[in-house]
Order: sequence, then C-alpha cells, then structure tokens
Amino acid sequence: MKKNFAVLLICSALLPAFISCGDMGEVPKKASETGVKEPDGQIDSCKLRFSWWGGDDRHNATLKAIDVWNELHPEIEIIPEYGGWDGWSEKVSAQINSHTEPDIMQINYDWLVSFSPDGKGFYDLSKLTDYLDFSGFTDEILSFGKSGGILNAVTVSVTGRGFFYNSEVYRKMGAEYPDTWEDLISLGEKFSDENIYPLDLDIQSGGTAWYLAVVYVQQKTGREFISMDGKLGFTENDIKTALDFYKTLEDGGVIRSVETRTDEDGNVALYQSPEFIEGSVAGVLEWGSSVGKYEMVLPEGVLEAGNFLSDENGNTGGWMVKPSMLYAISANTEYPDETALFMDFLLNNDEASVAFGTTRGIPASAHAEKALEDRGLLTGLAQKNDEMIEKLDTVTISPYMELPRMKEFYNSAIEKISYDQADTSAVAEELYNSINSYLDKIKVKN
Amino acid sequence: MGKKFYKNSVGTGKYTGLLLIMPFVAGLVLFTAIPLGMSFAGSVSESGTYTEVLQSSDFYKSMAVTLKYVLILVPLKLVVSLAVALILSISLRFMGVYRTIFYIPSVLGSNLSVVIMWQFLFTSDGPVNKFLNLINIESVGWYSDSRHALSIIILLRLWEFGSSMIIFLNALKNIPSEYYDCAKTDGCGKVRAFFLITLPLLRDSIFLNLILQTISAFQEFNAPYLLTGGGPMKSTRTVGMLIYDEMFRYGETGYANAVSWILFAVITIAIILIWKIGRRGSEEF
Repeated sequence: MKKNFAVLLICSALLPAFISCGDMGEVPKKASETGVKEPDGQIDSCKLRFSWWGGDDRHNATLKAIDVWNELHPEIEIIPEYGGWDGWSEKVSAQINSHTEPDIMQINYDWLVSFSPDGKGFYDLSKLTDYLDFSGFTDEILSFGKSGGILNAVTVSVTGRGFFYNSEVYRKMGAEYPDTWEDLISLGEKFSDENIYPLDLDIQSGGTAWYLAVVYVQQKTGREFISMDGKLGFTENDIKTALDFYKTLEDGGVIRSVETRTDEDGNVALYQSPEFIEGSVAGVLEWGSSVGKYEMVLPEGVLEAGNFLSDENGNTGGWMVKPSMLYAISANTEYPDETALFMDFLLNNDEASVAFGTTRGIPASAHAEKALEDRGLLTGLAQKNDEMIEKLDTVTISPYMELPRMKEFYNSAIEKISYDQADTSAVAEELYNSINSYLDKIKVKN
Repeated sequence: MGKKFYKNSVGTGKYTGLLLIMPFVAGLVLFTAIPLGMSFAGSVSESGTYTEVLQSSDFYKSMAVTLKYVLILVPLKLVVSLAVALILSISLRFMGVYRTIFYIPSVLGSNLSVVIMWQFLFTSDGPVNKFLNLINIESVGWYSDSRHALSIIILLRLWEFGSSMIIFLNALKNIPSEYYDCAKTDGCGKVRAFFLITLPLLRDSIFLNLILQTISAFQEFNAPYLLTGGGPMKSTRTVGMLIYDEMFRYGETGYANAVSWILFAVITIAIILIWKIGRRGSEEF
C-alpha cells in the first residue's frame, strides 16, 4: 500500500512536465476548419476582447479610449487585456495556437508571417468594409497588413527607430548630440571619464544592438539586410562589418558591454533600470511609437530626440521604417461586424484619436492624424521622430527580420562577440549560415 | 458495542467510491491524460522531430545546464533542510513561530517580489558584492558571468527548503527518544547517534525528498526565466526554458513536445536509478 502510494505520488509529480505543452493539440478547432463566421450586417449586443502591449502611457490612453467607446456603444462591452512587451508575443502565441485569442488584437509586424503566412490566420478585413473605413489609408500603408494577398491587419502607425538622449546629462558633459557615426564613436571617449555611456544598445527583446549595426552597413553598402520576400541581402562580409561596428562601439565606451549591462541591470528593461533613470546611461535607440515609456521615467522635457546618423558625406540612407503595430481581427471571432465597428473606432474616430494621442506613434490613418493636428496634439518625441524620418530615404523592414528566431541568432552573435567567445569572422560565418538555413526552412514550411 | 454506520450524501452503494473520486478522475483525464496524449501526438506528427532534437546543440546545452543544476541543488537542499529540521526539532519556546519563519520562503516561491529582491541583492553594486568587497573579496558578476549565473538560481531555490524541512521534521518526531537514551547510556555521542540512529531512520524521508526534489529540479523554469532569461550565453537555459522558448517564442510545437518527452524519459531513468539505489541501501540496512 505504502509502495503504491509512493508510485502514485511520483507519477503525479512527473506529469506536470507535459502540461506546458498539452494545450497545443487540435481542440478546439480553428476557424479554417470550422468555417469563419461571415459578417451578417447587423450590430448585436456582445462582449469583445481587445488585447495590446505597451507601457503605462499607452495603457492609460487606451483605457480612456475604451471609456469613450462605452459611452457611444454601451451594447458592446470591451474587455481589455494588456501588458508589457516582454513575454507578450509568447502569450498571444499560446492563445492563437489554442484558438482562444481575443476578438481584436494589436499585433506586431512579424506576426503576419508567424501566424498567418497564407493569410488565413487572421480575419479577412476586406469582407468587413461595411464597418471598416480604409479611406484614410494609402495603398502602401494597407499593403503592410497583407499576407498571402489577403488583408489581415491595418497599420496603426509607421515608425522608425531614432535616438533619444537625456538632455541634462549631455548638457552637463558639454556634449552635442551626434550627427555622424564618427561623432557617436567620439562621444565614448568624452563620456568615459565620468563613467557615463552616451547610448544604450541591448540584446533583449528589442535587439537594438544588431538593428543599429544593420543600419550602419545598409547605409555603407546600399544593400538591404533581408528583402520583403525573405531573402538575405547581406553578404557574409557585410555581417562581419556589422559585428565589427558593434564591437567598436563597445570598445570605445559608447555603449556598455553585454557583460557590464547584465551585471548592472540583470534581466531588467532599460527604462526600469537605475542606470537610465539616474543618467549613467544617457541615450536610447527606440521606436518613435514606444518612446513614451522612456520619457515617463525622466523629468518632463529631459528626453530629447537626436538626429539620424549619417556618414561623413551626409548620406543618411539605410535607416528603416515599419508598421509599429497593426490591428487584426481573430479568424475565430463570433462577432465580425461588431469587432470591425470597434476597430474602425480605434483607427478613425476623432475622440479615440485624441485619447490615444501619440502613444501608438503618429497615426497612419489620415482621419486620426487630422483629428490630432486640428487640436494641436501632434507634438512630442514621436512627432519629432516622425518628422525626421520623413526627410530620410528609408528602407521598409522585412517582417522576416523581426521573427523571434532571427532575433535569437542576432543576439547570440552579439553576445559571442561581446564576451570574446569567437572572432567576428567566425561569428559572421555562423550567423550568415544560420539565417540562410532558417529562411529556407520557413519558406518550405509556409 | 453496536456496528457503526457511515452516512454521506451520495449513499453507500456499490459505486459510491467511484462517484466520490470522479472529480479527481475527471480532472486527471481532462487536464493531464488528454494533454499527455496530445503532447505525444504533437511530438510525432512530423517525421524526424526527435532526430532534429537529438542533433541540436541547444538541446544538449540545456540538458547539461539542467543536469548540473539538479546535481548541485538537490543534495544541497537535502543537507540544508535536514540541518534546519534538526535544529527546529529541539524543544524550545516559540518553536512553532521559528518553523513558520523558515517555511515562509517556500510559500513565497519565485514570485515577482522575490525575484526583484534577488535582482537587487546580486547586481554589480548590490549588497552581496558590497559585503564581499568589505571582506576583501572582489565583486562577482552574478548575472553576467556564465560560471556564476546558475548559482543565484540555485540559491533562490535553496532558500525555499521549507517543504523538505517539514517532511524531515515529521520524520524526526517519529523517532522514539528511547533510542537516543539507550545510545547515551552506552556512551554514544551526539554525532555518532546522528549517523547511527537518526540518519538510518530518516531513510524513507530522505528517499522521498530526493525523488520529489529531483523531479522538481529537472522541470525548473520559473527562476531562470525571471532572473536571467536563460543567459548569459544560454548558461542558465534549462530544458524547461528550452521547451517554453521553442513552443511559445518560436512556434516549434513538434520540437517542444519531443523535448518534453525526452525530459520525461530522463526524469524516469533518474527516478528508477534513485529507486534502485534506495532499495539496495534498504536491503543492506
């Protein structure tokens, strides 16, 4: 009896090893198997789930917009689901795989490739034009949300990563914001006496370290890192140049080494770290649409936008833009008409646009942009970043570049270089081969 | 003395027992057996998944990290929990309070506030490094050095020794004090009494703790996920984290399920080994 009890106890303890993966089976069935619910042209009373990620500024603004919606449409209750970016895509991935995703989701650009390579992973928005108004969007903007030729998502804003600096620290150091790569590199020496870093690059979920290195090489060579259809445009030598550039920044004291950064912050995001808040790290490379969280932790007006860097000849090419985020409707929604009505509210409604402000970047919808412009709300860092980007000859990021597996490759490569585990030639060769094999693999799979 | 009758709301019929265990059985089927079946189906749905796992350097690296973690943590935890249980088995006033205090870390687990505290303690200018500097020892890169990163996760889990301690305390209470009295009369010191009386009589509890802690350590996920994210250089990425990453971050369902089954096999082999060694020890005893 005692032995049987022990066996039962051990078996029970072992079983949870599988629970983590147990919810990925075939039940419940996905929409493509049961049939997508077609719009019926009627607005019924219902509850809709809406999910997004972001910082507190975005959360507060979105909750305010939902309050506006509740007054306009009390018959349709919105259930908000929100959180920070870290771990968010894993959460949504679990929901999508188990077909329990919210009715409407803020999605990241690469999710179109991950979750809807054939365009059937999200609702076909072209069926919902009774409620969804696309007149405020250009064809190019709309094309960002297409997968397999099907309109799966609508771009909320187009953004690029720009530099934002702690003006108080720069003033104290008597330094100007850099205009060229050389300026940036020279700042390292200037700041090193005070043990301050003029910029931060990370290998966390943002992966800004590799991003900046790619921009540098794109500007230098005119070659795109990865094309829109998922082909690696860089040569092995280009990758080596990118890694060498990163190492120059580390060695020159422009950024903290991965080791120093990890030592100081552990696994904490930069905007939550004492180093950024107290000013020993005085700059960040961030999407214009997400800079609010950095702005919020510093005194008002302290964070300022800097210029996009160029080479010594003034060439500002190579900088990248992408849809910062998109809205998509679940292919499993029971309420396509109602969800479309809510999505239209989020994208085009004047009051909603005012509530959002620029917490999701400068709106891609001309209606929303006009609503902000008319009220003098097109201000702040996101707007400044947007204005500067418009003057550049930018490259649209391939969604393949942002896939999580690709980010793992980049971050591992940067980590190896930073920890001197291998020389840049060996790491470049490994990264080049890893990227090529993975791109081939997912194309076969899709 | 009359015969006792027991009553309950579902009666005393032939199937009463079955009815009573139905909620547990339903839970077991729905939340364990079915997911288990689906997990296995997922792992073999694409051909070559197991081969891919067994050829992957990431898998071997994670398995090596996990084995190292198990081999360091489990013995340490057993020793610490037994030592504390021995101290707490002494008759003293307010002993209940002391026992509660020692059990609190196990209740807290690796939740966010504990992780934040750990991050504060072990960052480069945290209290632990400051203390080391005070006694002329150089600061340690707890998070950034792949030789040390696993140790902060082990420390976090070691701190949660309460459950093992409770099992030992209970077993210690069941050892008759007469054994020690006799031993004392025969001139046996406390240390000898511990090795000749306490330890042999705790054999079952040690065995149970060893098995439970081994299983739990093999499945580690929370602590490295929250503390180090698996870094630096994947030096703290356990198999549990690998499964999570492959499943939810990279969408490799088949791969993640296959790794789960391999982990299951490894744990099973480890338990069989412990079981066999335990039985041999028991026969010798």
